[in-house]
Amino acid sequence: MNELLNQEKSIYLQIAEMIETDILRGILLEEERVPSTNELAKMYTINPATAAKGVNILVESGILYKKRGIGMFVAEGAKEKIKSERKENFKENYILAMVREAKGLGLRKKDIVSMIESVMED
Amino acid sequence: MMENLILECKGLKKSYGKKEVLRDINLTLESGKIYGLIGRNGAGKTTLLSVLTAQNPATDGEITINGEKVWENEKALNNFCFSREIMAGTQNAIASMKGKDYLKAASIYFPYWDEEMAEELIKEFELDVKKPMVKLSKGMLSMITIIIALASKAPFTILDEPVAGLDVFMRKKFYQLLLDEYTKTGRTFLISTHIIEEAADVLEEVIILHDGKILLKENTQELIQRSFRVSGLESEVKKAVKGLETCSPERTGRGMGITVMLKEGETIDDTCDVTIQPVSLSDIFVALCNEKEGTYEK
Repeated sequence: MNELLNQEKSIYLQIAEMIETDILRGILLEEERVPSTNELAKMYTINPATAAKGVNILVESGILYKKRGIGMFVAEGAKEKIKSERKENFKENYILAMVREAKGLGLRKKDIVSMIESVMED
Repeated sequence: MMENLILECKGLKKSYGKKEVLRDINLTLESGKIYGLIGRNGAGKTTLLSVLTAQNPATDGEITINGEKVWENEKALNNFCFSREIMAGTQNAIASMKGKDYLKAASIYFPYWDEEMAEELIKEFELDVKKPMVKLSKGMLSMITIIIALASKAPFTILDEPVAGLDVFMRKKFYQLLLDEYTKTGRTFLISTHIIEEAADVLEEVIILHDGKILLKENTQELIQRSFRVSGLESEVKKAVKGLETCSPERTGRGMGITVMLKEGETIDDTCDVTIQPVSLSDIFVALCNEKEGTYEK
């Protein structure tokens, strides 16, 4: 949770993504407590309502769960879940933007494929 | 948690002689939120804050707290702390006063005053309160206004330019102290500032005051989320934003950039060859307040 907030997208989405990334990297482990809304608010100097919105996205998608009176915890299987969600969004987040730029430059499908092959092994 | 309070003003007007500073302000503030008030120099921010807290009479209109009129109502006024910007150079009565005497006066004035908190903050800020106010820097005077605001423990606390003259470390410190107090108590804060970007993420709602009128009052994150900058070839940009609420168009040769504020269900036509970028609160503020009447394109 040492990343910096930027202005590229909503703060609450960034909070959700940062927690996810920390889970992927093993900074936060499954069944471990994550910082509370108020702790996140102070950590990032953001409104607690915004922090809560970010955390709630992860609760709704089953990545975090609430233990009443104790706090918020990383769910079992959260890491796999995040990976599969990010794979699903890969096309939307990366491929479409790439194809758009490629079209504007007049690049053809085979050009792009060969570029990918040159930088990525199987 | 604090008692639920609703501060409301209806048809509020304020004139100084012939000059109309506030024109027909309607505003409702609920307790338990951090509000931000932004506006250009001379927009009427300080006047609005002083009229809201009955330190300055309204020319017309009504201000109530939970339905009770605020003017000359001691019980209602006990809910407020309006921590004004101190200008020791011009306010001569204050100039020769020592910092600690100024704080002493505040401690008598505010019914919920927390002396322990005031002393902790003096230490935290490393403030020399034995010095006369006139010897304090702009930033140190801001620290005093912050101490008064926080230690007042008033359910409705208003800070006018609390970060003026503070360095970036102290500004951050201020927002952390504010959030600390807010998360512990749920007090309501209304803060005016010109350093918009640093405050944006802290403010649950933002109020934009322009030329004596309220241009907008909205959840800060929602406002940022629905606002975009669209740029590209003028004809493409116009096609992409057709029918949408736009403001502040800028043209450079054949190119054009424009700020778009989407309403629910609306989208920018991204099949056009344009760049769509997110914008910050200060970008939105500039786009809304920069332009002269009449260039607002709907």
